[in-house]
Amino acid sequence: MIYFYDGSRESFLTAFLLAYPDEEACLTSSGRQLAIGQQSIFVRADPERAKRAEKRLREIDPDCLDELDLMLRSGDRDKDRTLFEYFRLIAARGEPVRKMLAEDAVSAADECMRRITFEVHRFHGFLRFMESASGALYAPISPDHDICDLLVPHFRTRLPQYPFVIHDVKRKKAAVYDGSHTFLAPLEKAEVALSADEAEWQKLWRRYYASVNIPSRERLAQMRGYMPVRYWKFMPEK
Amino acid sequence: MIAEEKLKILTESAKYDVSCSSSGSKRKNGGGIGNGYPAGCCHSFTPDGRCISLLKILLSNDCIFNCRYCPSRRDADCPRATATPEEVSELVIDFYKRNYIEGLFLSSAVHISPDETMEKLLLTVKKLRREYNFHGYIHLKGIPYADRALTEEAARYVDRMSYNLELPSEESLRLLAPQKSKEALLRPMKELQKSRLVFTAEKRKGLFLPAGQTTQLIVGASPETDGHILRLTQSLYRGIGLKRVYYSSYVPVVHDALLPEKPVGERREHRLYQADWLLRFYGFSAEEIVESGGNLSLELDPKCAWALRNMQIFPVEVNTAPLELLLRVPGIGARSAYKILEARRYTRLNFEHLAKMRVVLKRARHFVTAGGKFFGNANPAAVRGLLTAGEEKKNAEQLSLFSDAETALSAHTGEL
Repeated sequence: MIYFYDGSRESFLTAFLLAYPDEEACLTSSGRQLAIGQQSIFVRADPERAKRAEKRLREIDPDCLDELDLMLRSGDRDKDRTLFEYFRLIAARGEPVRKMLAEDAVSAADECMRRITFEVHRFHGFLRFMESASGALYAPISPDHDICDLLVPHFRTRLPQYPFVIHDVKRKKAAVYDGSHTFLAPLEKAEVALSADEAEWQKLWRRYYASVNIPSRERLAQMRGYMPVRYWKFMPEK
Repeated sequence: MIAEEKLKILTESAKYDVSCSSSGSKRKNGGGIGNGYPAGCCHSFTPDGRCISLLKILLSNDCIFNCRYCPSRRDADCPRATATPEEVSELVIDFYKRNYIEGLFLSSAVHISPDETMEKLLLTVKKLRREYNFHGYIHLKGIPYADRALTEEAARYVDRMSYNLELPSEESLRLLAPQKSKEALLRPMKELQKSRLVFTAEKRKGLFLPAGQTTQLIVGASPETDGHILRLTQSLYRGIGLKRVYYSSYVPVVHDALLPEKPVGERREHRLYQADWLLRFYGFSAEEIVESGGNLSLELDPKCAWALRNMQIFPVEVNTAPLELLLRVPGIGARSAYKILEARRYTRLNFEHLAKMRVVLKRARHFVTAGGKFFGNANPAAVRGLLTAGEEKKNAEQLSLFSDAETALSAHTGEL
């Protein structure tokens, strides 16, 4: 049986509760091709069921719910399977499993989470703000995982006087800091009027980038390894 | 706003300094802009594969010193520029708020006199910290021969300071940088370390070089061996408590009869960094890694080379070996060693498990058993052959046709 859920925490937990006893179960949140003869159901989030699943999981391992929230953000193609197998193992063993790294389910979950936290770390560096005419900062990003709100605490601590918008153009949403509060909002497209100096600063930055390079030691593969091409789109220096 | 041309000159004069890291400081944002990022953060990478973390510039490239390897030396015919503390501060703030950089790496040529230069650097960092309320990372280059009071005051404002030893021995310094001496470079490092310990012991308010000190050695401009360099490195870590030693393979930007014409292969620099990691994170000593008059093997990484010299220790059983021993196995890094320790509490590990934990079995299989099973080659000479063959193929600087058995064979069969 294939269990479709909508990608939310509540609907995952509902689907998990239904699918757990089913040996042949497969959980998915994305449209996929069904093999002939395969049965499927769409699971709607059920607060009561979700709460039951959550309560049981919390008894076994209080930290695993944070891991669930993190992994639901994954953009990996097989994230649903990783999630299901990991939580199935937790439920089956009745104890925390995160250190049983010889288990496939655990190492897959471990890697899945690492990819997400690593991308957050990467965007602490690779994100680029531009200054708008009002002084607020605007940064478009297109990350692999759904992380734009996870970036906010870092920049908020660092730049408390600057309101900013981090716009995930792929998922069409934005994390906003208005100078005192932060919130998430859907955002299709943003028209940003840039400050008078913005173009000049970008030009200076490009000049710096070109000057600090040592052309006689070219190592393009290494550069691309550390800074994959998919991140270049919103970097003025590339 | 600083002029583009000035930025270009001051950047190009600073870029051969390899230090780039922004790690080690937990400085808080005291109501202005910026804070520390203890793990360090890379903001971009240039086509030479290096990371941009800090805005790396000189305050001035107008020098009274005449070090022969240096493109900004007194006698060099090059464009000169000097920036004002305001220009630098404004540049830092505007780059920082756009998230281009993690902070400032500020150095300077010795302009007019060491004290005058140090004063100017101090003025700049004070301006940034006080007037601009900047709490991001600052790495300040120390000026040799500057007054101790100036240096110590600067240490209260910045996160890290460094003096570049540049040349690994007194003789080479005398020859190539006649106005510097080893003692003149080591003394301020020792003094700063002492003051830092006192500062911490007395629990005084504020910060004193929270990210410590580093230095840089140029490799290949002078005849010192790797054995000599690594012993020096070890004494800097153990004796002066440096956080890092950087190695910079010599690039001939200056033509001089006393300097080699050809750049040093990057492989040597790479091997030195590998050995440096073994010193800092893997519990090795310089004496174990290479004999004093010798060089590191270019074909084999230093851990493999050490293991092959000490085959009597191997193979070790991954299910029982202590951490210190696991860390000495080629192909097992710090992360996989930790994973092995955790995982083996639940299961008896086999080779499949090791592969999953990102152990590089190509190397490790000759040095470990898993559940009593051994899949390596027990003959050290054969292992050496297997390990070097792979290395050479991967890193060859110039491939010749039919250089190894496999290509020769494929040339015969036509299967390329």
